[in-house]
Amino acid sequence: MPKRKVAALEKVEADLVSLQYKIRRDPRSYAQEFYDQWLAYDAQRQIFISSPTTASSEDVKKFHDLVDMVAHVANLYPEITSPFPDHLKELLNQHHAVLDKELREKVVGSLVLLRRKEVIDSTSLLTTLFPILISTPSKTLRNQLYTKIISDLRESNSKTTNHKLNRTIQTVLHNLVTSDRTSSKGMWACRITRELWRRQIWTDARPCDVMKEAALSDNEKVVIGGVRFFLGGDKEREEMDDEASDVEVDLKKYKHQGTINKKTKKRQKAYEKAVDKIKRQERKKQSPHPLNFSALHLLHDPQGFAEKLFQKHLQNSKNKFSLDTKLLVLQLVTRLVGLHKLTIIALYSWFIKYLTPKQTNVTSFLASLAQATHNLVPPDVIEPLVVKIANEFVSEASAAEVAAAGINAIREVALRQPLCMNETLLQDLVEYQRSKDKGTSMAAKGLQSLYREVYPELLQKKYRGKAATMGLRSGEVKLRKYGEEEEGGIEGLALLAKYKEEQKKKKAEEAMEAGKEKGEDDDEEDDEGFNSDDWEIGSTDSESSDGWISVSSEEDDEPVKKKARTDSEVPDLVDLEAEAAAEMERLTMLATTTILTPADLAKMQELVREAKIEKAMGPQSMSKKRKELIDKHIEDGVTADDIELPAMLGKKATKEERAERAREGKPGRDEHKSTQAIKRSKKEAEGKSSTNKEKARKKNFLMTIGKARAKNKRSLTETKKRLTAHIARSKSGGRRRNGVSI
Amino acid sequence: MGSSNKKKKEKKKDFNKAKLKVGKAKAKAASFTDTSFKSKSITVNQQSLISSSLTPLEQFKQHLSLCISAKSDTARRDALAYITKHISSPSLSSQISIPLILTKLLPLLTDSASPVRTQLLKLLASLPAGSVPPHASQILLYVRSGLTHLALPVRLTALSALEWLVSVAGPSAVSCPGGWLKTLTSFSSMLGWNPSVSSAMASKGWSVGIKPVLLGKQNAKKGEPEAKARQLEVLAKFIHQGLKDEYDEGRTAEQGQGEADQAYWDNLYRLPRTPNPFAYLNLFGVPRDEENEMYLDRDSRARVFDAKWRAVIEKGKEDARKEGGAVGRAAAALHRALNGGAVVVTAAEGGSREEEDTEEDEDMKDDE
Repeated sequence: MPKRKVAALEKVEADLVSLQYKIRRDPRSYAQEFYDQWLAYDAQRQIFISSPTTASSEDVKKFHDLVDMVAHVANLYPEITSPFPDHLKELLNQHHAVLDKELREKVVGSLVLLRRKEVIDSTSLLTTLFPILISTPSKTLRNQLYTKIISDLRESNSKTTNHKLNRTIQTVLHNLVTSDRTSSKGMWACRITRELWRRQIWTDARPCDVMKEAALSDNEKVVIGGVRFFLGGDKEREEMDDEASDVEVDLKKYKHQGTINKKTKKRQKAYEKAVDKIKRQERKKQSPHPLNFSALHLLHDPQGFAEKLFQKHLQNSKNKFSLDTKLLVLQLVTRLVGLHKLTIIALYSWFIKYLTPKQTNVTSFLASLAQATHNLVPPDVIEPLVVKIANEFVSEASAAEVAAAGINAIREVALRQPLCMNETLLQDLVEYQRSKDKGTSMAAKGLQSLYREVYPELLQKKYRGKAATMGLRSGEVKLRKYGEEEEGGIEGLALLAKYKEEQKKKKAEEAMEAGKEKGEDDDEEDDEGFNSDDWEIGSTDSESSDGWISVSSEEDDEPVKKKARTDSEVPDLVDLEAEAAAEMERLTMLATTTILTPADLAKMQELVREAKIEKAMGPQSMSKKRKELIDKHIEDGVTADDIELPAMLGKKATKEERAERAREGKPGRDEHKSTQAIKRSKKEAEGKSSTNKEKARKKNFLMTIGKARAKNKRSLTETKKRLTAHIARSKSGGRRRNGVSI
Repeated sequence: MGSSNKKKKEKKKDFNKAKLKVGKAKAKAASFTDTSFKSKSITVNQQSLISSSLTPLEQFKQHLSLCISAKSDTARRDALAYITKHISSPSLSSQISIPLILTKLLPLLTDSASPVRTQLLKLLASLPAGSVPPHASQILLYVRSGLTHLALPVRLTALSALEWLVSVAGPSAVSCPGGWLKTLTSFSSMLGWNPSVSSAMASKGWSVGIKPVLLGKQNAKKGEPEAKARQLEVLAKFIHQGLKDEYDEGRTAEQGQGEADQAYWDNLYRLPRTPNPFAYLNLFGVPRDEENEMYLDRDSRARVFDAKWRAVIEKGKEDARKEGGAVGRAAAALHRALNGGAVVVTAAEGGSREEEDTEEDEDMKDDE
């Protein structure tokens, strides 16, 4: 039988692709052909639209191919194809539910392609895709649309921020969330906003506003989406940032490969790409860090938001959310209260019924309570809560973990508002440091050390400790009254002033010495008036000539101080205090009298850093520690783990836990095998080659036996020669002189 | 040496007889491949060889599905032939629906195998004439998609189908939505007389040779003049159908006047007899543009034709007339049609049409 000829038409079917190729190369000459296919497309489209549900697979296939072809060359014939984007949009809008899967995918892909070829703009693309995303029942289509939408938004924000587009989309999302609060469609707004926030494409207040509305929705899923965004969105963003910068390019590797492998264009390109990437990374490192505010800080009217959240989702008894959701909402509300120092009085009385050991996730409630406390909460609102915790959790009869968690929770609350405690209760709680359980006693000790610092009068004398007693007597430790705030200043200003003074002193001394020398050497020249050195050194020199007055005054002071110290105590204290105040005033003068130059600011930062390091090395003052602790919680919030922590003290880990910890970060071990063997098999699976050592080890015994025998017969001198040669060779990188530049 | 012992054992293993154990499955061979699979449903295409057990209607349906699904050309053609034979049989004709058959089979108009297309034309010709007009617009859609197909033979098939349609259901073909202007656009694109392409390109400062490049290359020697003559001929018929006065074919003026009066009164007082008589109102569809509009009567068709196409077609026609030969003759027919005269096609031309088609197809194969 003769070989069957391929009929012309069987080729023709594939010819749409070749036509596309030809059109791309020479659009002018193929305009007529394209127009033919455009007409064919039009006819095929009408066939399809006349009965989209019953279209035969043949028709669908043909239409699919034609759409593909037209989309790829549409930018070359803008006048002929002007209705094309509208056709696609209409098709997708009206028939997305009944379209054939592949065709649907192709239509979406074609629209995106048109966008990339700049036939249509992002706004029209996104406003087409978005309504379908939220209404289609097909999961695959939703996924496709979601990725396309995100990638298009990324693309259009890649060079510069496209504010107009962002605003349009944010408005669409906002409307989606607010238009129907009961529907779960708001989930898509949450997902898109969160993703773009994570990628730092949207960093302003508007996406926060969308999420705020989501958190106030009626639908549980949407609420969770919104709340989780505020609780974890920023951390996610940081992680993403770290991940992106973590990808290191090993330039050395490429260089090395370049010396070994054949030189091809592909390798050259890969090398150039790596160099480019490294340069970009360095530029990114040097560029100032983008100042991104956290979502919680970008909220407008946090008081209103927190109140609404609380009333709608927590206080409302008709609310049927699950406990987990409620806890999430509670965490957000309390985070807001703690961070912005809001006042929601009803929140604290709401807590009361949840503060029993039998409540599920009670530690989360305790942590939330601690989070919701700050120094502007009236003490009499919190006191009943503290009393309740003490009554419910802390007793001899209760389990050790419960007591420890209770005391620790009280400590966390008291850390933020020390006035919430009364004397008898504190004494009672502090007594628990005698408990046999380590966790409980540690928690009680923590409470004690806290009160030693903030309010030692409340402690019994025997528990006050030396430092607190001394501080009380000297008046150093003062109870801060309700609503009293610490005076603020510029961090490091005092350090800078001190530094400047020292520098001045040094210069003055140098000048004095120089002056002495000068005075000895050339008195006459100085008297003559013109001194070239004076002119060159300029202002500093003239300053020093004025500055001797201050130097002398300090020198005068010192002996006075020494005298004063020998006197009785009371005037000493007063004197010291007054002096400190005067010093403080003098230091702050620096900020009000001079303009700090950038160099000054840089120096100030450096000094602050040094001082911090010194402090970290030496013993830390309690108040600083406390402040840092509160600051940390403002950043991250108090979690249930913090409350449970002391209960874990003194507990031995079980065997399983230890085994689990040991197994962490080690390669999986299905069978009994050496670590070496595991490594080797892993390497083999990755397609990497074996080392020379491994090859030598695998070598057939019979092949090595000859050399081994010859070795035995070597003379001593020969052996020596070989050994020295071996050492020399291994030092110079083996026979091939690897890694050594010659 | 342990390794060689091991190897010896391994070698021996191949020749050991496998021991069968009671209660245990037989050991699988080393080359065993697991071919089991899981599926929610399994569809087996109808492949029964016994045709006698099926009723005629079932057989008919089976062939109908074969027309679309069969992979081989001959199978499709044979199935089509079966349907052609049985579609007009009195026992079946009451049970089968023409629209269903048309929706199923019309995609074959652009089928890649020429025997299938030829057979489809035969099938169309065998359809009862009265059943075609209601579906004219649907058929016309497929014809249009075929007219500008990439392959010349498919275009010619579409031409033949159009010719058939004009002869069977001429009035409804030219008056259905998009039937007049869009078909003309397809024609002009096919002939390379396209003003919209050249204007689109000219606005960019391009000058365009509007002769189709693809077809020109392939068929410059053999097929093209004949194809062009054929295109002109069908165009002439189509235009004639569109522009002729509905009532004056072969009648005196008075008779025509009388029938026109009759139609006027019928329109006023009789129930309409055509399906969807108010389609031109387009009550429930999407609004139509100029291209897709229905042009119900001769005057409106002539008006849009004069506005959009007459100049272009006249010019193309003049060029074609100068070519002489078959093309010139066809152009002369077109000239008559444009001027409102009847198109006279010689019997010889009409009869040899089908054969020409197939010959051309085979020519193309030879070229390849």
